[in-house]
Amino acid sequence: MAFAMRMNFVPTIVDGSLRHLYVDGEKAGFQFEARLAYYRGHYLSDVDEFWVSVDGVKYDPAITTFGINGKDLPGAMLNRCASEFWKLLEPAKIKVHLPGGLPEGEHEIDLHLMMRVPYLPLPGGDSDHSYMPLDSCGQAKLTIHD
Amino acid sequence: MSNIKVGATLYCWTNEYATGRLSFADIVREAAKIGCEGYEVVATQMIPSYPYISDEFLDEVHRLADETGIAPVSYGANCDRGMLPDRNLTEDEMVNQGIIDIQSAHRLGCHVMRAQYLMGPNVLERLEPYARMYDVKVGIEIHNPETPSTPIIREYEAMMERVGSPYIGFVPDFGCFATKPNKPYWDQALANGAPLELLEMAAQMRYDGVPMEEAQARLAAAGANGAVFGAFSGMYGFVQFSKEPDFEGLKRIMKHCVHFHGKFHYLYENGEEASIPYDDVVGIIRDSDYEGYIVGEYENHTGVGTTEMTRRCVEKIKKVIGR
Repeated sequence: MAFAMRMNFVPTIVDGSLRHLYVDGEKAGFQFEARLAYYRGHYLSDVDEFWVSVDGVKYDPAITTFGINGKDLPGAMLNRCASEFWKLLEPAKIKVHLPGGLPEGEHEIDLHLMMRVPYLPLPGGDSDHSYMPLDSCGQAKLTIHD
Repeated sequence: MSNIKVGATLYCWTNEYATGRLSFADIVREAAKIGCEGYEVVATQMIPSYPYISDEFLDEVHRLADETGIAPVSYGANCDRGMLPDRNLTEDEMVNQGIIDIQSAHRLGCHVMRAQYLMGPNVLERLEPYARMYDVKVGIEIHNPETPSTPIIREYEAMMERVGSPYIGFVPDFGCFATKPNKPYWDQALANGAPLELLEMAAQMRYDGVPMEEAQARLAAAGANGAVFGAFSGMYGFVQFSKEPDFEGLKRIMKHCVHFHGKFHYLYENGEEASIPYDDVVGIIRDSDYEGYIVGEYENHTGVGTTEMTRRCVEKIKKVIGR
């Protein structure tokens, strides 16, 4: 992959944050928290690519939500969220809505989150809308809990 | 005669803030402790209700001002022209956002707002009545590799000359007057296995104005590794340097300057910056009619010794202006 900005002040995937989601006592999916790998916050419309995979299984963004500002925003429409600002210090609550959820134990979480640095045009870019990519991806092994 | 106050941008403490070691309040206290007379806040970084100012945040700013004696003087705004997935923001959209930023700056009590050149001269001109109404001077940051005399900055200057308003101007960043390679990048490259002679070769090509592609090819032929190319990309990117920094350009635009970023990457104990000629730059400001702030801006987010490094910067600026 070509060069992308990334500032690793903290691990992207928050340790200990993987938990089950329940509906009426039944497992309804899972959630974990992620931090932005940069020095400032961003509008979610800066997200170019977003998906989650767990133990090698990739989940469609259509069954995910991205929780910031007290709202669970649709994972497949993040780049339309031009007034939802993801703050530097706020861990996003990423949920995968999956009837049955995940089995107990340890899981390999792989977050793919590529964004744009919207004030840094790439010199010699393909168009006047080529901006510096921002890599806020993360991988971690977490044990799921309630 | 100039009338200069000295502060710091809280951005200096980016690492401490992002890792949670220091809160916004802790950082304001650090700035007060080292003699800052005011501070800048990068809005997208530290304002929890961005792009608005919540009552809670405003209360905290006021409480801290009572406690420490210092308040925000400059609102660091971004121009996120590329924030939509498929196209750039239009001028109307950037004016819209600029008005919200000016309102937030005003609510915080700032009389200066740092803006970014991507908005273009038309947008800045359209913001002038709002800058005037809210008493917030909006300044376009001149950041390396731009200098006071690069084409886009000259376009802004022509507009400012035509409009003739004290409410729109420039915020030069000292980094655009660098005369030597960035020391932290250089040291990091050496630590990562860059041969000294290849770093020196890269620096010499930068001084000689060798075009980037040719310089890259010559380095590759000489066997440069990734560490050399890391430092090289800075030399041709955001930490360029020259034996003849644009001091004449700075003097020419002084009447349009509303604020300054005292960029530094490494200050020795004697107050000398490793690559930026502080005596010359601050001297030009001191000898002008400038009234406003110079805020130190530490760009080296290691999270080690930030307060001490920023203290050196604040003291250095005060020394050069004779205080």
